[in-house]
Amino acid sequence: MGVVKRKYVLPGDLVVEGNYQIISNAYRIGNKIYSMKVGMAEITNGKVRVIPLRGPYTPRVDDLVLGIIVDYAPLAWTVDINSYFEAFLPAQNVFGKNFNPEVHDLTKKFKIGDLIAAKIVSFERGKDPMLTVSGPGLGKLTRGELVRISPVKVPRLIGKKGSMSKMIEKATGCELIIGQNGLVFVRGPPEGIIKAIKAIKFVEEQAHTSGLTQNIQNFLKGGG
Amino acid sequence: MMISQRGYFIENLRKEQMLQLLAKGKRLDDRGLLDYRPLKIEVGVIEKAEGSAKVSLGDTQVIAGVKVEVDRPFPDTPDKGLLIVNAEVLPLASAYSEPGPPDEDAIELARVVDRGVRESEMIGLEKLVIEPGRYVYAVFVDVNVLNIDGNLFDATSYAVVAALATAKYRKYELTENGELKATDKYEKLPITTVPISITAFRIGDVILLDPNADEETLVEARLTFTFDGRGNLCAAQMGGSKGFSKDQILKIIEIAKLKAEEIGGLLRRQIGYG
Amino acid sequence: MDDKLGKLIDEEGRRVDGRKFNELRPIKIEVGVLKNADGSAYIEHGGNKIVVAIYGPKETHPKFMALPDRAILRCRYHMAPYSTEERKPPQPSRREIELSKVIREALEPAVKLEEFPRTAIDVYIEVLQSDGGSRGAGITAASVALADAGIPMRDLVVGCAAGKVDGQIVLDLNDLEDKEGEADLPVAIMPNIGQITLLQMDGLLTIDEFKKALDLAIEGCRKIHQIQREALYRKYFGTSEAEGK
Repeated sequence: MGVVKRKYVLPGDLVVEGNYQIISNAYRIGNKIYSMKVGMAEITNGKVRVIPLRGPYTPRVDDLVLGIIVDYAPLAWTVDINSYFEAFLPAQNVFGKNFNPEVHDLTKKFKIGDLIAAKIVSFERGKDPMLTVSGPGLGKLTRGELVRISPVKVPRLIGKKGSMSKMIEKATGCELIIGQNGLVFVRGPPEGIIKAIKAIKFVEEQAHTSGLTQNIQNFLKGGG
Repeated sequence: MMISQRGYFIENLRKEQMLQLLAKGKRLDDRGLLDYRPLKIEVGVIEKAEGSAKVSLGDTQVIAGVKVEVDRPFPDTPDKGLLIVNAEVLPLASAYSEPGPPDEDAIELARVVDRGVRESEMIGLEKLVIEPGRYVYAVFVDVNVLNIDGNLFDATSYAVVAALATAKYRKYELTENGELKATDKYEKLPITTVPISITAFRIGDVILLDPNADEETLVEARLTFTFDGRGNLCAAQMGGSKGFSKDQILKIIEIAKLKAEEIGGLLRRQIGYG
Repeated sequence: MDDKLGKLIDEEGRRVDGRKFNELRPIKIEVGVLKNADGSAYIEHGGNKIVVAIYGPKETHPKFMALPDRAILRCRYHMAPYSTEERKPPQPSRREIELSKVIREALEPAVKLEEFPRTAIDVYIEVLQSDGGSRGAGITAASVALADAGIPMRDLVVGCAAGKVDGQIVLDLNDLEDKEGEADLPVAIMPNIGQITLLQMDGLLTIDEFKKALDLAIEGCRKIHQIQREALYRKYFGTSEAEGK
């Protein structure tokens, strides 16, 4: 177990000097490691990471993302996944290998404006990410409400081994489907949804403060 | 915010949710169908300009600046000052606002707001003459939209009216040789009235006021009425491509007339007019 | 030239607005002022009032402008028609086009463009009121806005000008000093790395005066950097930098 040293950093701030491994959001000049973002630097076990407080979503293979169908072409749907490229969902992924654009109508499956849960199958820098909806829980999302949070706050909303999101689900009777890209789907009874959304926004605002878990617990107990 | 350049996009679930609420006369932010979001007007924000006003209507933010210069009058109105209203939706305002010269939407916006000011005779242009046929004051109003969240027509109109109503310009006079000389006297523009614009929007059969950007994605038609502050209509503009029934238009006039009194009072209070 | 009795600096070395030769005008920075933008900032620097919005990274349109290995940074510096003493027509002037370019080049070294190939990052700088030194203030606000957008940066960038007025080298020229003075030297730096990313000069300076002015401008930049830090600390850490340690 290493000592965790934490401090606030801005872009260009010296985080630490020495032979550390950079995990995220920092860069090295010679022996010095500087932050690239506004956030919290963590130095532990010879590793340096900067947890950002803001930032765009960068697609990663196997990420669960929620997206909105914004267009379709003969062979694929175009999906907005709140990132700097639109993603595409091949029609074959849904209709199977026998997909025939002359027979199969894409809009019968997903219409423009539909919300889907998908996984990222591939992403090469500079190209549109490819999605799949094959898998449990993936596909069109209905009967619920969509909330958007900053993608960098998602780990906090999920919590260690899902502890934070499970706590919110239990206290509100709702199901939370959390996309790594900051889109969160909430399903459940109307009052539960209202409370869950408030809790989600609370986590987003206070993600970087200590005592968040306790504050959320109090918030959830206090009748919202 | 959707980064898609396809225009502002919201998911069907949200649209259905809003439509269900509208059918019951409700909205997502708990407003009534005819309620405006908080309207905040700050004047004199650009001290170098002759007049200025920053308007926040919900999250829609607009700044208007007034510059007064000396110019030649138009040949067919030698005894009147000039009024020019320009509007620009800045690329800062949304992900799909492109830099460049004003497009048809921005030009329509400027002309409708101009019409409201001009037809109400808000400014006594005959009083803005230094020497008929030769020197008059030219009043330029430039409006910049900084952030779009619905109801641009009303927000822009309030900014223009507030900036004009509180503007002060430097007086010029003629020397004995008939030359132009700047004095050190400043005067308010000759304001005769405060016109108020109210825009109504139709979503299906529901008429509502002051939609935000999410609600505007459902709007099928809009109708702006500008009242001249004396009980008359001085401008009207319909927009969107689905139109209104005659009954709806008559209903809207009544709604707008009442609302104009309410918003007019608010505006006049915030700018210290009358 | 009798510099002590010049109309812009009096015998006690006080300038028209009462400042000493190395004093900055009052500066105020707010972070996150526009809801739709990915990042934004507002700065008041003397009489300058400037708002900056960042959109991106995002897909590049038109596509042929995209680069295969990095993002492109696009910058638009624009002055509102009511921002100057005499009304300025809304169309971009040659000055605005030149400033858009040098400001972009001042910000580029700081942004980790390689992180987002084939995308564009748009920086929109709108000068609502202008009072000398607007390009420096624009750069200062733009770099705060980029940090607000969470775009990875090697350092913040800060801009400030020095110049020569009534024979003296002074810091942070206001509008009058800019127009009536003998030289104007806008500078921008990446303060932690120590790199100068913008340098322009117009007027007349000896080499010694240039060196003095450059040092003074860099010193001014470092002071303004502290104000940037405070603004970001307040917004993101809810505390001032001194308290947060």
